[in-house]
Amino acid sequence: MSRLKSCLLIFLALFSATESINVEVLNEEFTEALLLRPLPDRKVLAHFHFRSSAPPSERCGRHHHIFPKSIYQLVHKFQVREMELSFTQGRWNYERWGGFDPISSSNAKPPGVELWAEFDVPQDQVDYSWKNLTHALSGLFCASINFLEHSSSYSAPQWSFGSASGKLRYGTLPREAVCTENLTPWLKLLPCRDKAGLSLLMDRPSIYRGYYHSQRLHLKSDEFGASEMSTGMVLEQTLTVVLRPDTFSGQALQPSWSLSSLIGRSVSRKCSLSSSSNVYVQFEQNLVFEGDKLKEDGEASENAIPVGDGLEDNPLFELSLPPKRVIKELGNSQKAGSILHEFSVEDSNEFKPFDLELNWKLPVAWSCPQAPLQASRFLLGSGNERGAIAISMKSTKSNNVERTSSFDENECWLRVGIFQIVPWYVKVYYHTLKLFLDGEPQSSMENIEKIIVSPSEDKVSTGVMEMILRLPCSVNTAALTLEFDKGFLHIDEYPPDANQGFDIPSAVIHFADFVANMSFYDDSLKQVPILSKLQEEVPVVSYTEVLLVPLTTPDFSMPYNVITITCTVFALYFGSLLNALRRRVGEEERFLSGKGARKAGPLTLMISKLSAKLRGKPWESPKQSESGRSSSKYKLLAKVVLVAGVAAAWQFYFQ
Amino acid sequence: MAAASAPTPPSTAEIAEAAEPLPSKLENSEADCPRKTRPGLKRLALTFTVLFSFLLGLPFLLKSVEIYRSPLPFREIDDLSAAVESIPLQFPCKFRAVFVGTGGSSFDANELSVKIEHQMRKIAAKDSTSCGACSYNSSVSVVVENGADCFRSDNDFNWKCGALSELNRYEDSREYNDELFDEYLHSLVDKSDGRGNGGNVYTMIVVRREGQKDVSAVVGKYRHGWIVGRLSEEEAVKKVATVFVKVFVNGGKEEGPISGEFMPVGADGKIVLSFNLLNADPHDWIYDWEFQEIDDNLLAPILKYLKPLADISVESQVLYHTPKSSFSYWDEKLGGYIFTTKDLPFFVNSNEWHLDTSVAAGGRSKILHLVVYVPSATECPLQLQLPNGKISKSNGFISPMWGSVVVWNHAACLNGSKMETRVRHMISSEDMRKIFEVFIGQLRQLFGLKSKGIFRDASGTIRLLTSESGFTEWELDVLSRQHTCFNLLQCTTTLGSLSRLVQSLPRMIIKEEIGEQVRYSIEAAKLALSNVSAGIYDASAVSSRRARSFAEDAFYHPSMMSVSYYSFEHCFAVYSPFFLPVALHVLLAALREWKRYKQESRKFKAWKAKKD
Repeated sequence: MSRLKSCLLIFLALFSATESINVEVLNEEFTEALLLRPLPDRKVLAHFHFRSSAPPSERCGRHHHIFPKSIYQLVHKFQVREMELSFTQGRWNYERWGGFDPISSSNAKPPGVELWAEFDVPQDQVDYSWKNLTHALSGLFCASINFLEHSSSYSAPQWSFGSASGKLRYGTLPREAVCTENLTPWLKLLPCRDKAGLSLLMDRPSIYRGYYHSQRLHLKSDEFGASEMSTGMVLEQTLTVVLRPDTFSGQALQPSWSLSSLIGRSVSRKCSLSSSSNVYVQFEQNLVFEGDKLKEDGEASENAIPVGDGLEDNPLFELSLPPKRVIKELGNSQKAGSILHEFSVEDSNEFKPFDLELNWKLPVAWSCPQAPLQASRFLLGSGNERGAIAISMKSTKSNNVERTSSFDENECWLRVGIFQIVPWYVKVYYHTLKLFLDGEPQSSMENIEKIIVSPSEDKVSTGVMEMILRLPCSVNTAALTLEFDKGFLHIDEYPPDANQGFDIPSAVIHFADFVANMSFYDDSLKQVPILSKLQEEVPVVSYTEVLLVPLTTPDFSMPYNVITITCTVFALYFGSLLNALRRRVGEEERFLSGKGARKAGPLTLMISKLSAKLRGKPWESPKQSESGRSSSKYKLLAKVVLVAGVAAAWQFYFQ
Repeated sequence: MAAASAPTPPSTAEIAEAAEPLPSKLENSEADCPRKTRPGLKRLALTFTVLFSFLLGLPFLLKSVEIYRSPLPFREIDDLSAAVESIPLQFPCKFRAVFVGTGGSSFDANELSVKIEHQMRKIAAKDSTSCGACSYNSSVSVVVENGADCFRSDNDFNWKCGALSELNRYEDSREYNDELFDEYLHSLVDKSDGRGNGGNVYTMIVVRREGQKDVSAVVGKYRHGWIVGRLSEEEAVKKVATVFVKVFVNGGKEEGPISGEFMPVGADGKIVLSFNLLNADPHDWIYDWEFQEIDDNLLAPILKYLKPLADISVESQVLYHTPKSSFSYWDEKLGGYIFTTKDLPFFVNSNEWHLDTSVAAGGRSKILHLVVYVPSATECPLQLQLPNGKISKSNGFISPMWGSVVVWNHAACLNGSKMETRVRHMISSEDMRKIFEVFIGQLRQLFGLKSKGIFRDASGTIRLLTSESGFTEWELDVLSRQHTCFNLLQCTTTLGSLSRLVQSLPRMIIKEEIGEQVRYSIEAAKLALSNVSAGIYDASAVSSRRARSFAEDAFYHPSMMSVSYYSFEHCFAVYSPFFLPVALHVLLAALREWKRYKQESRKFKAWKAKKD
C-alpha cells in the first residue's frame, strides 16, 4: 500500500511540476482501439491498436496486474530499451493504400519477420543480449526468430533507425511464414486475449484471408535510465489488416460493408479491463474533399440541402450508428483534413453487439496521399555468376513535396535515406554504385549527402549500406544500381529448399524531411493512445520488395560423387603404376604366344590380332589345340557353377 | 615404368621354349622352362615396399579420422554410484535425552542411553528406511538431572548441568503455554549447548511430574521437544525414541501413497514460485492484490529461511477470462456451488490458464504455480467438498510437482450482495493473509511435510508446534537431509546413464566441457559425501545441489544431442572408394610376386640340383 501511495505522490508531483498536456499516467493502463478506413481499391483497412503501460518498476514494484509478465521479464533480463517485432504477410500497396500517413509509415512492414531492438547494456554485451533476445522471442512467439542469432543475419545500423547509440540491432527473416501460431501468443499478451473487447473481431480465417496483415509489437521502456522522469514500460501491439468486403453488388465502385460482413464477427462483450475501447472510421482527405465538392455542387444546383454539420447528411456515405464524436484533422490551405468518426463499444453486450455499417450512397473514386517517391527494387543481369541490384524511385508528383519544402525553386532538395542489408553470399561491389536522375547517369557524388558502407565479411557479417541522397525536387525518376557477384556457399549452409533462391531483405527508404502525422484541433485528444499515436511525428518510411536471388545450387550428392571419382582415379593410377612396375613384358608375350597356339573363339582371335597390330608386330595365326579347348571349357563351366553357387548361397542367407 | 616398358626380351626363356618342342602336360611350368638364374628380387622388394608403406600409413589414417573424446572418469563414476546406491545415505545425528525430576528412582544414564538406542533401532527397523535418514549407530547421550544431582552418560555433548533447574519454577510461576515454554526452553537449551561443535543436537526433555495425570508430548519449533507427565521409565524411553525416529529423523510424515521422493527443486537448485490471481470472468468483478506488500512482508522471510534448501524466486501475474474446466453444482444445503475431489484433475484449465513458463527461469529451474482462483458470478461461492462430505476449510488443493490452487470467494458473493463491476477491487489484507497461510501449508505439502500440527502414533499423540515462517528448524533439517540424499542419488544416476551412453556409442564426440562438468560433478558429490559424514547439513545440501546440476549440465550438453556424430559407416563410405581398389591391387600384386618368387626359386633349385 505504501508503494502505491508513493507512486501516487510521485504522480501528483510530476503532474504539478510539469503541467504538461501529455501526462504519463503512473498506473497500469490498457486501452484498445480499432481504426477502419475505406481504401480506394474497394478494400478496407482495419487497424487494431492495443496499448498496455506499466509504471517504472523501480518505484512501483515489479508485480503488475495488466502488463504481461513475460514482456516485463524480457525487458529486465535483456535490458531492452526499445524493441519492435513485426510479423507480416503480403505487401503493402503503397500506390493504392497510401504512403504518407502515420499508419502506412509505421505499420507497413516488409514480409516475414522484422525485428529491431535497442539495448541498455555496455557496447560489448549488445550482441550477446541480442542473441538471447532472439531465442527468447522465438520461444515466445512460435517463430524461427532464433535464425537472427548468427552475426551474418543481423546488422547494426548507424543512423537509419532512430537512435545512433550503436546499441541497436536489426534483422529480418523475409521468408518466415506467418500464421495463427504467431497470433495466439501475441493475443496472450492482451489482458482480455480474444475473449472480450475488440480482439473478439480477430476471426482467424477472415484475417488470414486478407490481402495484407501485419502484426506488430512495439516495446519501449526507460526502466534503466537514471532519470527520475522515467515513464516505465509501454507495450504497443497493433494488427493491421487489409480486407475486401464480401459483397454481391459486384459493379459498384465502392462496396458497402458492415463489421460483421467484413470480418464475420461483431463485438459482443467489452473488455472490462481496458480504460477505453473505441472504434474509429477514418475518411481520408481526398475522400472528404470529393464529398465536399459534391455537396457544394448539390447546394449550387438545388439549394435544398441545409448546411449542417456536413456529416450526418454526407452525400457520399451513411454510417449505421451515430458517432460519439467527430474529429477533424487540421487540413492545409487547399483541402480540409481527414475526418475520424469515433464510436464507443462500451455499452455493447451479447444482446446488442456492436456492429457498424457503412453504406455508400454514390460511387466515388479518390486516391490516397503518396510519399514523394515511390520506390521499387529489382534485379538486373542474368546467369548464376553476377548481377546488379537496382532501386528505382519514381516521383509521385504529390503536392507534399511542395508543401514541405518551402525554399525557392532552385534550392529545393529532396532528401531520401536508403538502408539496405545484403547477405554475405551476395557480394556487392560498392564502388559500382551508380546514380541515374531522369535516366541521366550522374558521374559525381554530389547527390549523395552522406553514406556509410560496411562491406560484408564471408560467413561473418552482412553488408550494410546506409545513405542519404539529395535529389532535386523536380526529379521524375531516380535509380540506383549496384553490381554484385554471387558467392558460393558451403554445402552445409544451404537451406533445405536451396533451389528456390535466396532472399535479399527489403530496403528501407525513408524521407527524413517529411513527417507523417495528423494534427487535430483539440489537443486533449492526445490522451487517447491511438490518436496520440496518429499525432506522433514519424518519418515517412517505405519498404521495397524482397528480392529473390537464384544462386548456383550444387547437386547435393556431389561430395560423394567427388569422393568416388577422385578415389577411382587414384586407385586406377596406383593400380596401373604397380602393374607397370612389376610387369614382365617379355614373359607375358611368350605366354601369350604359347596360349595363342590354342585357338579360342573368334573374339580372342580378334583381340590378339588387334593387340598385335597395336604393338606393331606381325600377327601369327594361332594353331588349333583340341585339348586346350576342352580344358578351358571345363574351366568355364566350373566358373559358371561357382558363380551360380555363390549367388544361390547369397540369396539363401541374406533373405 | 620406363624400365618395364623397354623391350628387353629375356633370351633365356625363349631359348628354353625353343628347346622344348613337345610340352608335356604334367609339371607344365617346371618342365616348360628350367630356371637357370637366381630369381630377381627387384619386383618382390618393390611390391612389398608398397604394401608395407600402406600398412605403415594405416595408423596415421586412423589417427586422422579419430574423433575427440574427452576422457571421462568411468571408474570414479562407478565408485561414486556404488558408494551412494549400495548403502542408503545416512547422516550422523546427535540425540540427547534429558530426564528432569525423576524423583527417587535411580536411573542410570548409560543404561538409559542403551535402552533408548535399542528402542530407536526397533522403531526404525519397522520403517522403510527413507532417503536422508539418520544412522542409528550413533549413540544417544542421556542426562539425568535430579535436583542437584546430575548424571551424564559417557557420550555427552557438553550439556551443562543444572541448566534446567529453573524449569519447575517456571512452570509453577506462570501459566503454562506451549509456545512460550518452547521459547523458554530454547533459551535454556541454547545457552547450555556448546554451539558450533559440528551438527545440531536434538534434545528431548522428559519432565516427570507426579501430579499430572495425562502425558503431554510436544515438539517445539527448534530442535527440541518435551514430555511432561507421570510416566514410567519404559514409557519415557519408548516415547523419546519415537519422537527421535518419527519426528526428528523422518519429519513426522505418515506413510502415504506418495513417498517422499518428490522434491520440487529444479536441477539447477532453483524454484520459481509463480503466483497467479485468476479472475474467472472479469465481467462480474475484477480483483487485484497488493502483491508487492505480500512479497515484502510475508514471502521474503520464508524464502530467506529456505535459502539453504533452494534458491527461490517469486513472480506474480493477474490473469483474466480464466474459467475452470470442471463443473460445479449448486447445493442448497451447503449454500454454495460444490466441486468434489473427483473434479480436481479437471479443475486446472490448461487451455485458458496461461500460467506461462517464465522467461526469468532459464534452464532447468522448477516452476511451482500457486493459483488463487476467483470464481465468476455464476459459480460463486465455490466450495470444495471433501470425500467425507464436509466442506474443505482451506478450499484449495495441491498437485504434486505442479503447484497448488486456492479458491477464494469474496465476501459480497457469500452475502449475495451486488457488486460493482468495472471497478478494480482489492483483496483485503486479512483475506490475503489467510490465502497465504493456505499457500504456505500447501508449500509444506509440496515439500512433503505434514500440514497438520499433530502426529499420531500407537504410543499416543505428539503435538508439533508450527513456526510462523512455515517451517520449523528440525523440519528444515529433515528437508535438507532428504534434499542432499535425492540430489546425490539423482547425480549418480545421471552420471551413470551418461557413462553408459558414452560407452555404448564409441564414435560419439565428447567435448572437453562435458569431461570437465563430469569431473566437477564428481568432486562436488565427494565433497557432499564428506560433509554428510561430518554432519554438516547446509554445506552438504549446497554441494550436492552443485553435483546434481553439473551432472545434468553434462548430460544435457547441446553437443550430446547432436545427431551428426561421426559414425563408422560414414567413415567407411568416405574411405572405401579409395582404399578398397588400391588395397586389392597392392595385396594381389604382393601375393602374386611372392608366389612367383617361390615358384621360380623352386625351379631354380630344381635346375641347380639337376645340374649338380
